[in-house]
Amino acid sequence: MKTFEEKWTAWLDDQLSGCELSDFEASLPDKAAAHAEKAEAKKLGELLKRELSVHPLKNEEFFSHQLRETIVRETGEERPERGRRTSTSSWWTIPRLVWAGTASLAVFLICTMFVMHQERAPEESQYLTQILNARVDPVVSPNGTVSIFEVKQDRVTVIWTEGLQTLPADYAAK
Amino acid sequence: MHQSLAVAICVVLLTTTAARASRSAEKVWSGLVIAENVAEPQPIPSELTRIETLLKKFFGYNQLKVIGQSQKTLNTGQEDWLATSKFFGLHVDARGETQGGYVLNLKLYKEKELLLETEAKLSKRSPLVIKGPQVGGGQLLLVLVVQ
Repeated sequence: MKTFEEKWTAWLDDQLSGCELSDFEASLPDKAAAHAEKAEAKKLGELLKRELSVHPLKNEEFFSHQLRETIVRETGEERPERGRRTSTSSWWTIPRLVWAGTASLAVFLICTMFVMHQERAPEESQYLTQILNARVDPVVSPNGTVSIFEVKQDRVTVIWTEGLQTLPADYAAK
Repeated sequence: MHQSLAVAICVVLLTTTAARASRSAEKVWSGLVIAENVAEPQPIPSELTRIETLLKKFFGYNQLKVIGQSQKTLNTGQEDWLATSKFFGLHVDARGETQGGYVLNLKLYKEKELLLETEAKLSKRSPLVIKGPQVGGGQLLLVLVVQ
């Protein structure tokens, strides 16, 4: 069993029909006032429907909207960038110091290894003194001969001469 | 980015320069030594201690006495110098640095008379010993050591 308010709302929305409609209209005390109220309610409904619906943007509004969005986006991008710039205003930040220190250490180690390798290379290949040529003066020592010894155990090279003129002990003077 | 590159280049240059500088300027000791047998041998000069055993064993003398010496610092490897005693002179002419040593031209003079000439690549880790003439009861030795 519908209440009067329910029947009234349904009548305003034209939801009543048949004997239900005729019964309800017969029960109205002032039929003309009710019809006027119904007409007002319909007008209000149409107005609300028209005004509250999403209306398409005009050209100017569309471009203004686009521009505003671009400005907002750029401003948003600039802000963190500005923040980053202020944070890097000092070049020697702690992470960079750490990186610079590590890099310097690595370069130092590489150079040290390079220098040590350069020093070790001759040690392995030519650790002994090499004699390129040796001769005794044939006029002063016509029987003079030269021999070369390499004492690898002591890493000493010896030039051994024979047949040189023997000198008196006076020649040992300082 | 540019700053870090500049810093890296500076570090490399400083490190390599320091490493190179630490390798240069070596001293060459050259000595005229009389090896002889005596009843009470004198202590051996410090420059010869490293090869004392070899010299005594090789030449058969118990005393090594320095009669002339010279110590030269080589900066360019092109220097020349003279180690002299009263009658002998050893002229050393460095003719450049090689990998691990120096090329030296050596001339032994008795007064103004050239007795011996040799060219050697003197290793920084290997002394050179030259047996010279017999002097009285002993033996003249020429010794070159990179210190």
